[in-house]
Amino acid sequence: MLVYTIKRFFEMIIVFFLFLIISYLLFNAIPGNAFSSLLLNPLLPPETYQRTIETFGLDKPLFERIQLYIINFFKGDFGYSYIYYPRTPIELIAERLPRTLMLFSIVNVIAFYTGFLVGKILAWRRGSKSETWITIGSVFSYTVFYPWFALMMLWFFGYKMGWFPLGKFLVPEKWYDSPYSSDEIFYTLILFTTVTSVFLFLIFIFTRNIESLQSRRNSRFVGLIILFIISAIYWSNGEASLQRFYAADIAYHMILPTFTVTLVAFAGTALLTRTTMMEVLKDDYILTARAKGLSQKRIRDRHAARTALLPVVTSFIFTIITIIDGSVLTESIFSWPGMGQLILEAVTREDIPLAMASFSFIGILALIAHFIADISYAFLDPRIRVKVEN
Amino acid sequence: MSKILLEVKNLSMHYDTLEGNVEAVKNVSFNVNSGESFGLVGESGCGKTSVAMTLLQLQPENSIITEGSIKLDGKELVGLSENDLRKVRWDSISIVFQGAMNAWNPVIKIGEQIREAMREHYPQNSKQENINKINELFRMVGLDESISERFPHELSGGMKQRAVIALALSCDPKIIIADEPTTALDVVIQDQILNEIKKVQNLLGLSLIYISHDIAVIAEMTDKIAVMYAGSIVEMGPTKNVFTSPKHSYTRALLDSTPSIKGEKKKLRSLDGEPPSLIDKIDGCSFAPRCPDREISCNPTEHMSLIEIEPDHYVDVCSQGKI
Ligand SMILES: Nc1ncnc2c1ncn2[C@@H]1O[C@H](COP(=O)(O)OP(=O)(O)O)[C@@H](O)[C@H]1O
Ligand SMILES: [Mg+2]
Repeated sequence: MLVYTIKRFFEMIIVFFLFLIISYLLFNAIPGNAFSSLLLNPLLPPETYQRTIETFGLDKPLFERIQLYIINFFKGDFGYSYIYYPRTPIELIAERLPRTLMLFSIVNVIAFYTGFLVGKILAWRRGSKSETWITIGSVFSYTVFYPWFALMMLWFFGYKMGWFPLGKFLVPEKWYDSPYSSDEIFYTLILFTTVTSVFLFLIFIFTRNIESLQSRRNSRFVGLIILFIISAIYWSNGEASLQRFYAADIAYHMILPTFTVTLVAFAGTALLTRTTMMEVLKDDYILTARAKGLSQKRIRDRHAARTALLPVVTSFIFTIITIIDGSVLTESIFSWPGMGQLILEAVTREDIPLAMASFSFIGILALIAHFIADISYAFLDPRIRVKVEN
Repeated sequence: MSKILLEVKNLSMHYDTLEGNVEAVKNVSFNVNSGESFGLVGESGCGKTSVAMTLLQLQPENSIITEGSIKLDGKELVGLSENDLRKVRWDSISIVFQGAMNAWNPVIKIGEQIREAMREHYPQNSKQENINKINELFRMVGLDESISERFPHELSGGMKQRAVIALALSCDPKIIIADEPTTALDVVIQDQILNEIKKVQNLLGLSLIYISHDIAVIAEMTDKIAVMYAGSIVEMGPTKNVFTSPKHSYTRALLDSTPSIKGEKKKLRSLDGEPPSLIDKIDGCSFAPRCPDREISCNPTEHMSLIEIEPDHYVDVCSQGKI
């Protein structure tokens, strides 16, 4: 397992270098001179102009420029943003990335989980009326034109019903006299979500070895209650009790985009789970499980769904990359000021340093996501684990 | 007199398919006493697996039991609810499937897959008790204890099959069905597995239903035998009697087409033709079209039924002319 992880890690590094070089070449191929837009910004002092040329080696041949770019990348030096001067791309990304990360990791977890759950139930209830209708619904959501659907959701829930805010990620009026910046609150939120997920995971890991199914279920339930109580205590004490109000505002703004993207994103997983699980249900070991007198639920979850999970995870890995284009669309429609909007702005206004930095960071993210998915896949399938070890 | 453990009476089952009804089990009756081993033999496609599945009430969804009863230890299984069946399965009756190579879930450790069944039927057992029992069973079937911690793909075919036998024994059933348990194995391993089953059965005093297309194997394994053809039992009796004086032409043909167990040189006679399609209802003797001893007089159109021609030895009506 360790060898596998290390091997994967090195592969990731190599792919990353290729990615850097190719993305540089692509930007290099953009017609027109990046400097024309640079010069158009009257805020830009001449030193900055000079420094930008030096940083990127713009007067040197291509090969040296690429070398320089890679070296600068590891120094974290991307020069200055043209449109947000004097802020640097790194500063901008540090502000935007958490917002995107927060929204889309939550969306992806929810979408994967609901998709898997729905697909599992569809396969299990094969031939029933509800199966037919939910399948038709899933196919609709899988094939629907996403921007149109998102606008419809915004129109209906935001404008018509007025349940959710129309875009943005906070209500500015509430934040005028806030002692916290929105970034601080965001970091708190991210930290909280991460810690909670880790604890959830630990609860499941530690209760796995309890022999009696009844007490396993009970101890998991107790674990969840305790986790809930602890988070309630956390939010009602000390600094968090002051931040609570602002955190709730951000969370409230996340609901509609999360719901919309989940509706569109769950269907792929659901349909694939349905198909794979229907195949798995034909396998002999399902018959064995039934012959052993196991309960329907256990056969469904422990035997059929667990094996059907493997190809579903594989396909999920491949869709991780769509977070990027997805985020551009979603963030534009819901005016969510994250990486997607930043990239869009940078590209349309030819802010080359900012665009390159954003792309590189998203690339890193995608690679890390793949890496994690690869490792967890090997963890899920013992057959891969063994192949890997030999 | 040992007591009757399993009593199957007038069991008929068909599959509902697009081409029509496949009559896989027709009016099948037999008894298995406790501690007895019962063999079911016949060409492939004659309905042996269908009988086995029906005994556990695990038949596919497109199957319909039209009549008959299955009593296990006096308890009727046909029509029992899924929840009640769950208590019977593995607890009283367990099975080693035909495709036992694939009987294991590929992503769960062997030991866990056995313990899972034990948790269901012995909820009061501690984990250690279950582990001890599995280790004991593994010793009995000639496996190492460490197999518990392995995944199915790490085992050879023979090991998997031994583990399946341990699995089948894990909840102390009264009767085990072995449906062609050695088909996918090479010959040497086949022999070992057969011995293992025989040994375990004697040791624990279990009843056994042994299903095979190979009549020679059945001869070694069983006390009583039923010969199946096209969904019906055509001859049934103590194994010795059926082998020494087969009454039905199909039984004779089966014996003739098998190399003699005692090693006598005999010319092998293979059976011509194909078994009939089970989709059409057959009136009278289904074996008549292939029968080497067929006479003009024998093709009774009345419904077949078994006649006891000597104590405990039954044969179907068709062959009566030639007894
Ligand atoms: N699920 C099913 N649907 C339709 N026909 C089936 C099904 N299962 C088995 N059959 C048919 O029933 C007959 C008996 O099959 P089976 O019981 O598997 O025979 P055996 O075990 O003796 O080889 C065969 O003709 C087979 O094609
Ligand atoms: Mg069969």
